[in-house]
Amino acid sequence: MSDSKGRLPAISRRDLLRTAGAAGAAALVPDAVAAATEETPALLSPAAARKGQDGSAAPSETGPFVARALANLTARETEILSAMVDRLIPSDELGPGALDAGVLRFIDRVLSESGSNAADAYRSGLAALDTYSRYTRGGPFIDLSTVDQDSVLIDVQIGAATGAGVGFVGGSGSFFNMVKSHTWQGMFGDPEYGGNVNFVGWDLLDYPGVRLGVSPEDQRDLEADQLEPVRRSAYDYGIFE
Amino acid sequence: MAPTVKVSLPVVMGAALLLTGGAVTGLRGQAPTTFIVESPTMTTGRFMPRDYSPDGRNLSPPLRWSGLPAGTRQLAVISQDFGAGRPPPWVHWIIYNIPGDAGGLPEGIPFDPDHPMPAEIAGAVQGNNGWGLPAYRGPAPPLGTVHNYHFAVFALDEEFDLPPGLDRGELLLAIEGHVIGQGDMVPLYERQPMNQFPR
Repeated sequence: MSDSKGRLPAISRRDLLRTAGAAGAAALVPDAVAAATEETPALLSPAAARKGQDGSAAPSETGPFVARALANLTARETEILSAMVDRLIPSDELGPGALDAGVLRFIDRVLSESGSNAADAYRSGLAALDTYSRYTRGGPFIDLSTVDQDSVLIDVQIGAATGAGVGFVGGSGSFFNMVKSHTWQGMFGDPEYGGNVNFVGWDLLDYPGVRLGVSPEDQRDLEADQLEPVRRSAYDYGIFE
Repeated sequence: MAPTVKVSLPVVMGAALLLTGGAVTGLRGQAPTTFIVESPTMTTGRFMPRDYSPDGRNLSPPLRWSGLPAGTRQLAVISQDFGAGRPPPWVHWIIYNIPGDAGGLPEGIPFDPDHPMPAEIAGAVQGNNGWGLPAYRGPAPPLGTVHNYHFAVFALDEEFDLPPGLDRGELLLAIEGHVIGQGDMVPLYERQPMNQFPR
């Protein structure tokens, strides 16, 4: 997606927040994401591994990341996808990132519901991303530095990885945009769909929440930046069921 | 210091047009002097290393310059391909607010605007390239084609404090009338299928 001047969006979360008009989002202390079970073996994110977290449910500043094995991707594909969405919206001083928000679970649901074509697009795209990383940066995507990961993703985003013959189907930019769109949806969509765990995406945007009405007092509080956000799924309201 | 090139105004204007792709940037009625632009890793007329393209690490290449005109207070660099873009040129890189006493640019300028610039070019900022990104992105011409990549360096008589993210036209407009010297180098690049790369 490009803006009115044809410029590509930057991929940093800071710019994402600026675009969303949510400057000044406060640091958050979310509840922990559900821990893995024996039935759903866990993968630790690189960020979590660096912090020495073991995937237990102990709360931390940003909450521990636990990615359940996905139904539609192999463990290796899940690792690559995990590293990619972790760079699209990383956990940082502004708050939890895409992994904390359960974006992987959201994407897995999307793949389950949208048929095999989407899953095939993910599989071929993730394989091409890894091949491109090995050819150009000398190692698999998950092992690259975050700087090189970002550099790879920029090249994928602008389509520069396409002509290299590494297997992107329909252009590397198409793959990037598909994953980016799903990441955005999983981060900021209604938690009913599997992402936005503990409403961390809405907190990041200072979204006031789903409301059935807004009183004059609410409006005044909103304008004074004192409105208490509602943290309920739209599906918690009977009229949406 | 390089001597002033004494040629007629139409010739100078023609040279400026060739170098900048249409914008007139020199001081009114004066010819910008030319100076030398080099690179420790690239040569005009020769293929540039793959690491300066998306077939490699896509680092910005190092540049050096010498013979700047007296009175140079700041520099700006535009990397562009006159064989691409609708209309040409396709812009690969823009960097400006470069201190006048800098002798060049080191390899691998950060693409993250939050990452500080190297000390020798503190204050420099990057403009938007053809992809709308304020960063260097190297050549990726269609397979089987050789393209020329112009690294144009402009010596300016004023110390600007331009905001990041200017595109080529905005930068050329901002520095119009303040270019007292120009230089460039033009390496080549041809993309190879990646299965031909050594792993």
